[in-house]
Amino acid sequence: MTALITLKNLKKVFTTEDVETHALSDINLTIEQGEYVSISGPSGCGKSTLLSILGLLDSTSSGSYELNGKQVTGLSNKQRAAIRNQDIGFVFQSFNLISDLTVLENVALPLRYRKTLSRQERETMAMNALKKVDMGHRTSHYPGQLSGGQQQRVAVARAIAGDPAIILADEPTGNLDSKNAELVMTLLDKLHHEGATICMVTHDPRGAQRAERIIEVFDGRIISDTRAAQNSVVA
Amino acid sequence: MIEDIHYTLRRLLKAPRFTALTLFVMTTGLALCIYMFSFIQSTIQAPLPFSGGERMVRITINSNGTIYDGPSVRLHEYLELKQRLTTVDAVDAFAIRGANLSTGDRALRYRAHLVTPELFSLSGGRAALGRLLSDADMLPGQDNVVVLGYALWQELFAGDANVVGKTLTVNGTAHTIIGVSEQGYRFPSDATLYLPFSLSTRGIARKDSPYVAMYARLKPGTQRAELAQEVAQYFNQLRQAHPQLNSNVLGHVWTFQDELVGSGGTQIVATMYISVFMILLLACVNVGNLLLSRALENTKETAIRSALGAPRATLIKQMLIESTLISVLSGTFAILLAGWGVEVSVDYFATAMPIEMPYWWHANFTQNSLLVAFAIVIATALLTGLLPAWRATSTDINTVLRDGTRGAQGQKNARLSKLIVALEVALSCALIMVSAAMVNGIDTINRADYGMRTTNYITARIQLPDLGYESEDSRRQYFSTLSTLILQQSEIDQVTMASSMAHTWGAYNNFAIEGQDYGRMAQYPAANLNVITNNFFEMLDVTLLAGRRFNNQDNKDAPKVVIVTQSFASQFFPAGSALGKRIRYVEQGDDWFTIVGVVNDVILGQPTGNNLIRTTTFVPFEQMPRSYMHLAIQGKGKQASIRQALERAALKADPSVPPYRVMSIEPAVAERVAGMNFVSKVFTLFALASMVIAFSGIYAVMANAIAQKQQEVGVRRALGASDSEILVHFIWQGSKQLGVGLMFGLPAGFALVNLMTQAGLAQSHPLITLGVPLLIATVILAAIMVPVSAALRLEPAAALRDE
Repeated sequence: MTALITLKNLKKVFTTEDVETHALSDINLTIEQGEYVSISGPSGCGKSTLLSILGLLDSTSSGSYELNGKQVTGLSNKQRAAIRNQDIGFVFQSFNLISDLTVLENVALPLRYRKTLSRQERETMAMNALKKVDMGHRTSHYPGQLSGGQQQRVAVARAIAGDPAIILADEPTGNLDSKNAELVMTLLDKLHHEGATICMVTHDPRGAQRAERIIEVFDGRIISDTRAAQNSVVA
Repeated sequence: MIEDIHYTLRRLLKAPRFTALTLFVMTTGLALCIYMFSFIQSTIQAPLPFSGGERMVRITINSNGTIYDGPSVRLHEYLELKQRLTTVDAVDAFAIRGANLSTGDRALRYRAHLVTPELFSLSGGRAALGRLLSDADMLPGQDNVVVLGYALWQELFAGDANVVGKTLTVNGTAHTIIGVSEQGYRFPSDATLYLPFSLSTRGIARKDSPYVAMYARLKPGTQRAELAQEVAQYFNQLRQAHPQLNSNVLGHVWTFQDELVGSGGTQIVATMYISVFMILLLACVNVGNLLLSRALENTKETAIRSALGAPRATLIKQMLIESTLISVLSGTFAILLAGWGVEVSVDYFATAMPIEMPYWWHANFTQNSLLVAFAIVIATALLTGLLPAWRATSTDINTVLRDGTRGAQGQKNARLSKLIVALEVALSCALIMVSAAMVNGIDTINRADYGMRTTNYITARIQLPDLGYESEDSRRQYFSTLSTLILQQSEIDQVTMASSMAHTWGAYNNFAIEGQDYGRMAQYPAANLNVITNNFFEMLDVTLLAGRRFNNQDNKDAPKVVIVTQSFASQFFPAGSALGKRIRYVEQGDDWFTIVGVVNDVILGQPTGNNLIRTTTFVPFEQMPRSYMHLAIQGKGKQASIRQALERAALKADPSVPPYRVMSIEPAVAERVAGMNFVSKVFTLFALASMVIAFSGIYAVMANAIAQKQQEVGVRRALGASDSEILVHFIWQGSKQLGVGLMFGLPAGFALVNLMTQAGLAQSHPLITLGVPLLIATVILAAIMVPVSAALRLEPAAALRDE
């Protein structure tokens, strides 16, 4: 297997009004291609901050971050945007669909930021992604016209439409009832089986158990890294 | 209720910036609206202050497309119309004459109204002292009586209670004072003294008939249009019967109020009303939007109250209290401001205008104005409060949760924001366009090239009385003597005279060109006829382009000569030179005038409308001596010493003929456009108010909409959008709102500009058409750039966390 993500001695410190908050300390982590990783831990432990850094939505205070073999710390906003667009797919807890765009437009949105695709290509890719999540029949609906579960499936379609190297999911079932949560988790399982690399933040133990590797974070540090097949602890 | 008011007051005080902003916007909108309405109602549309005043109309003429005010109907025509009209229950006329009043050693110049007893009975006139005119005073030989206006009685006789029976010399003839009109009464407009209407057609040819000001009172229930039709029929017949005199003349029926403002008045008033309505609408939209934003922020509180059992009507009532408080407070400020504005404006009119204000104008708020102000405030409170309250209380919590897709406003709110921005763009575009065109138009008027010098000399008017100056020779003699005496004064270097000058008006006369057959139903061309003394062109820098100027050989016995302007020559003699050709003024006799010179074009009167395109002819004073002339005097030293020198000379020439309206040419010219400058100032105020209200509104709505989309910015960035792509996205969104706004705003602006152009006051310019949308686009761009840049400064993760 090839390392997709490598974090070395990563730190994140928030400074507000002379108070320094160490959100993440000494994070060393490698995620291989094709892995399904869950990050869990109590509220405020730093798991979402870790996911933001992995998704280049936030910057590190120190340490190094290699994505696809390329050092991504210290990149410009424009370079980071291009990497997010090409290599990362996001699924958020609160779906984060844009309310005045249709389902199809929402899914095609990341593809619009790739200058190389024609409108027809974008629509075809978006349609394929929607079909994968069983939402091909609601393309012209607006997010407000869908249930929470449907909205999250559309969000998953948006995350996979551009065939990213990794899908980062932040509490993807946090806003859903148990039935819809199960549907979304099954969808992620399916994507994983089809070869997708997934990194998911969750505080739901049942959700975390579905991943093949479970990382636990506490107080800004990784306290355990367990593989479903072998129970090794790295700290 | 008191508890609710207390609660609302506390809320307003807790948000002082919000309260100050809403009060400022609302006060601006309301003050302009109430001011404009009150000003128009107190002045140009004030009702005539007597019973039946609303049925009183003026009958004047439209000659060659220009509607004339004042005495413009021939006495013959008035008497004929009086016999024919059936739609009126009273028809009357008055004339205006210069009155040189002799008191002791010098004469003072006033205007006298020659009126019938009916004028007083129709207009509710009463005597403060003695009596007004009676039918007996109208009889020949009995007509040397005078009724003093109240102000003149105070001025000349210091309010002497025994003035009745005393003698006053008017134009050299002794008149017995029979009474004083009551204080404040000056019908038909600004009368100072009244003489009997002694005019008669006996022995007078129609062409020499004196002009009178005709008015009538419509029968109850009769429309003005019906009278207009009768008058039109009469003038049609007149055109056939007397083509030489009436070839281009139509009748015109209008109100006293419209006549006073002039032919563009209706358009000016309409545009002012439309403009203030738009400003008020802008203010309402802004305040309504601010209240809506607050109401939506409090959706949770509203939901809790609703859950506790508050009926919707109660919730709406509570929200309406806020808009009512804001509107009432703003309304109070606005009424005070508007009252002050009306007072200042009326003062401006009283001092800056060349005419005296009609006696029915006043600076006070009428009951009507207050009622309308009250109605506007109530309407505003409902408009700004009801819609936000309705929207805020119609929110279903489930819908809110469902529609609460993060990263974007609720869809309905987003649509509303877009609508508000588009509306503000449309309204501000139209308002700024018409205001800019107005200011441009007036600026062009102020910078007009009159074709003659309008600086560094003093002007005065001389009106010779009929008595003693009946003959042409006596007039020649008087003005020649006056000119010599003026030049003998050491303070004076030059003097010239003309019947029309830049700051006065042109006398439009029909003429015939020799060799042209105009047929029986003649349609004669017309041009200004300006009678001048020989040095007029030289002294006032009018350039001779061909031929020669007038000289001393062009006297009364010499062949009649005329000098024409360049546009006259090219319009009427396009094929060759105008020199040597002959014209005849069809209303002035049978003399043919040979064109001996061509000079540059000149403008006589306000540099607007027809005055700009009218051609002018000049005739030497010696060959057409007038009794009414304007003087232009150039000298050394201060204006006061030149003025005194003129008065000394005039006193020597004839003590009963005083020069009047003695003033420098610069303010004399400015006076002619004072009304327009006032309108220009009002529209500049409109433009500023609309810019402040609209631009702050556009900025607030856009910035608020974008701030609410902070999460959307985060989402788009998470999906790989670069900063420039985010910016372009929002600029594209803004440009769509700009486009929709301009789609309505530009046509509305063009329509308003067109309305004001018809009134001769506005002039569009490509810079305005391009500049106004560009200005609004810049504001929108700024309203996008600032909040978007702020959102982009955040890490995407922070933007996504934004609540």
